[in-house]
Amino acid sequence: MSEALASALAPLAEVAEDPDAYVVRWKQRTGGKAVGVFPMNFPVEIAHAAGALPVLIQESREPDSIGRNLLAEFYCGYTRNIADSAAKGKLDIYDGFFNADHCIQLLGAVDVIRSESPEKPMFYGHLPTSLTDEETPAEARKMMQAFLDEIAEFAGGPITPEALAASIALFNENRRLLRELFAARRAGDACFTSEQMQILVKSSMVMDKAEHTAALREVIAAAAVAPRDDRVRLHLSGHFCHAPKPELLGAIEECGAIVVDDDLYTGSRYISTDVATDCDPVTAISQWYLQRDAAVPCPTRVQHESDWEDHLVRSVRASGAQGVIVLMVKFCEPHMLYYPELRKTLEAHGIPHLLMETEHEGVPLEAVRTRVEALLERIRRAELVSS
Amino acid sequence: MSTAVTDKTNRLSVTAAGGKMIADYWDGVFNARERGDQVVWYNGQALNPIFQAAGLVWCHGEAFSARLAAQHLEKPAQLAGEEYGYVGELCSYARTHLGCAVLTQQNRQGESTGVVGMPDQQELASKLPAPDFFVNAYSGCSTGQQWDDISFRVFGKEVPIFNVSLPFLWGNKPDSGYLVGEEWEQTSEHVADQLHKLIAFLESMTGRPFDWDALRQNMAYIKRASELRREAMALCKLAPTPATFWDWIASIAHINFLPASQDLVDYFAAVKAEIEQRVAAGISGVHNERYRVYFDGIMNWNKLGWLARKFADHDVAVIAGRYTHHAFWQEPHLIDPENPIKGMAQHYLLCPTNHGTKTIQDLVLRDCAEYGVDGVVFHSTRTCRAFTNPQRLIAKAAQRDLGIPSIFFQGDVADASFYKDDILESQLVAMLEGIDVRRSQAAG
Ligand code: SF4
Ligand code: SF4
Repeated sequence: MSEALASALAPLAEVAEDPDAYVVRWKQRTGGKAVGVFPMNFPVEIAHAAGALPVLIQESREPDSIGRNLLAEFYCGYTRNIADSAAKGKLDIYDGFFNADHCIQLLGAVDVIRSESPEKPMFYGHLPTSLTDEETPAEARKMMQAFLDEIAEFAGGPITPEALAASIALFNENRRLLRELFAARRAGDACFTSEQMQILVKSSMVMDKAEHTAALREVIAAAAVAPRDDRVRLHLSGHFCHAPKPELLGAIEECGAIVVDDDLYTGSRYISTDVATDCDPVTAISQWYLQRDAAVPCPTRVQHESDWEDHLVRSVRASGAQGVIVLMVKFCEPHMLYYPELRKTLEAHGIPHLLMETEHEGVPLEAVRTRVEALLERIRRAELVSS
Repeated sequence: MSTAVTDKTNRLSVTAAGGKMIADYWDGVFNARERGDQVVWYNGQALNPIFQAAGLVWCHGEAFSARLAAQHLEKPAQLAGEEYGYVGELCSYARTHLGCAVLTQQNRQGESTGVVGMPDQQELASKLPAPDFFVNAYSGCSTGQQWDDISFRVFGKEVPIFNVSLPFLWGNKPDSGYLVGEEWEQTSEHVADQLHKLIAFLESMTGRPFDWDALRQNMAYIKRASELRREAMALCKLAPTPATFWDWIASIAHINFLPASQDLVDYFAAVKAEIEQRVAAGISGVHNERYRVYFDGIMNWNKLGWLARKFADHDVAVIAGRYTHHAFWQEPHLIDPENPIKGMAQHYLLCPTNHGTKTIQDLVLRDCAEYGVDGVVFHSTRTCRAFTNPQRLIAKAAQRDLGIPSIFFQGDVADASFYKDDILESQLVAMLEGIDVRRSQAAG
């Protein structure tokens, strides 16, 4: 990696590593309010249009401690960790919280935050999760309007359609730039490792959007196309709500693989869909919500037109991936429910895959390496046989 | 290693007759195809009075999983699910039922299951008639809706499905609360609208106009049965209690999914009458009641009898619980048989997992005070996060506000492997010793 690229990436890496420090700095600098937002469907543009900093709350790097007993041990690492962060007071940097997602484990964790910080605004809007029902578009629009009203109350003033339209344009531009990098990786550019791709997305979830876009442009300007080498090409799939540990991504690539695409939440899922600019902004945000699932189907939603497994196979074909690693957050129910459908389809298409569960408390790197190496070996052998 | 337990329970005798009603119902489900009936698979809330009025045979997924687990017949379905790829940490109701779906689908296609052994049990799991369509109406837990979407996929996306979406009662507004506030009124209307749409869907599935008079009649029966059930429950505030949580567990199927009928009303009248007789005669639900506890959590169906005996063996009467007392048409005053839809919609929202922690906590603590309990036992249900969500916060509040201690034990709805008897035993003994110490301090 060139020096220019390394220095362009450095500030984003710093934010990805310590999002809280960025939020504190931003508040000191601007005097503005920070909104803690939960994954995966809150329309962050609204909070931005209100002058606040919307931050997708990240899993912290610290081990869980004093908050360990606030949720049972069989909850996903993300939810247990945010309960722990609440108990430690680490979420005090936020002036309010917004959630649009009905995952039962997430609601449990969010309720822990509510009980730890009862004085903070904590709004939950139940977006319709069954997406193909007749009343869904109207219900989604109603809920988006409710978010708008609540954020306006939180920020202390109305949000004008012009402000919302400007925020939408800003966020679209940021997504577009990130999508270009993902498309380049899919097409064969190996300029960024998967850890670096994660830094780009994670920092976007935290930083002021204009600032992030400017930093991203610098990264793009400093980057040079690097053709793929002959490492085994992999697609990473799954991992909702938070980012897989960077050391896990590193271990996968160190085994002799190169990640060529993903449908991770802290990856291409997050940036998949833009908000339309040719209709009223509230309608546009409602449509964005419905279209996201069509773009990259998500098992936390119910719809019958598109299937995640078909999307996965299409992505694998498009990127030339030779295998898939399904990264499953341990105890993540929507993913556990959907996994057999993925497995069935990958097997039917002869695409080798490996299921790996992740937890908050560290990555057993040796075990990861052994399993990834076995997958790579399987892929190489299959390629030999078929050639 | 499980500890040996003597039987000091004194269960209501009327529930034995109730067992036959349940068995007859399931026979009716298993034989639906022979009668040429249409079958609906559904999950979540008690839509059965609507299905009954539409002339359908209804099969509740959770109920079927619970039944298999209570009869220790769950394994073949769970093995089929595992073989299909379901991870063992997934909701065991869903896993068991999806295993049944896999077996039923394979049966339909004449395939071998690949699951070896236990042919009779396997037959029971696959005896479930395949659905003509699905209806989902799950409140509280997000898994409920996703589960039916997966059943739909297991059946090749060829069976129609209708979703009733039930919003979570989070309590955003200052006026939000149990049965009150703008959120409650708005969501009640929203769900009522969807029930009308469901009825239109059923008309399209059956090709018949919906029988509204039958629905009104069904809801009149259910309202009366529920009133009797609640009146009988209230009698258990007496000490010693004439009946226990385990008796209410034995009556869940009746109030949750058996056909609405005079038989149902008669059943709960008989439950109440037996309890009244016990009160008059001074007979208690546990021989030698010395401690009264509240049970928070969904049922551990594999260990139903075992747990009833275990608590009684320690002279503990389990009096009430969130699962039994905050669900199943528990607010009969909301039901207007002449105009039943809104009250039904409201009950569908009143699942004991569909509220924010604050409301659940208020209700549990209210019951703890009313039933005069000495402690709370939390069933930390390994694969049911919906029920475990607020438990730690409730335990803290029970200690803080009422001075009531709590214990947690791990088990599961339908997967026996998660139950740890040693942990329950040691926790229970420690809690009872603590209660003894406090009593003697108070007396001294
Ligand atoms: S990772 Fe899965 S279980 Fe955890 S909050 Fe997200 S959807 Fe829910
Ligand atoms: S996790 Fe619990 S509430 Fe959710 S679907 Fe399973 S049994 Fe029902």
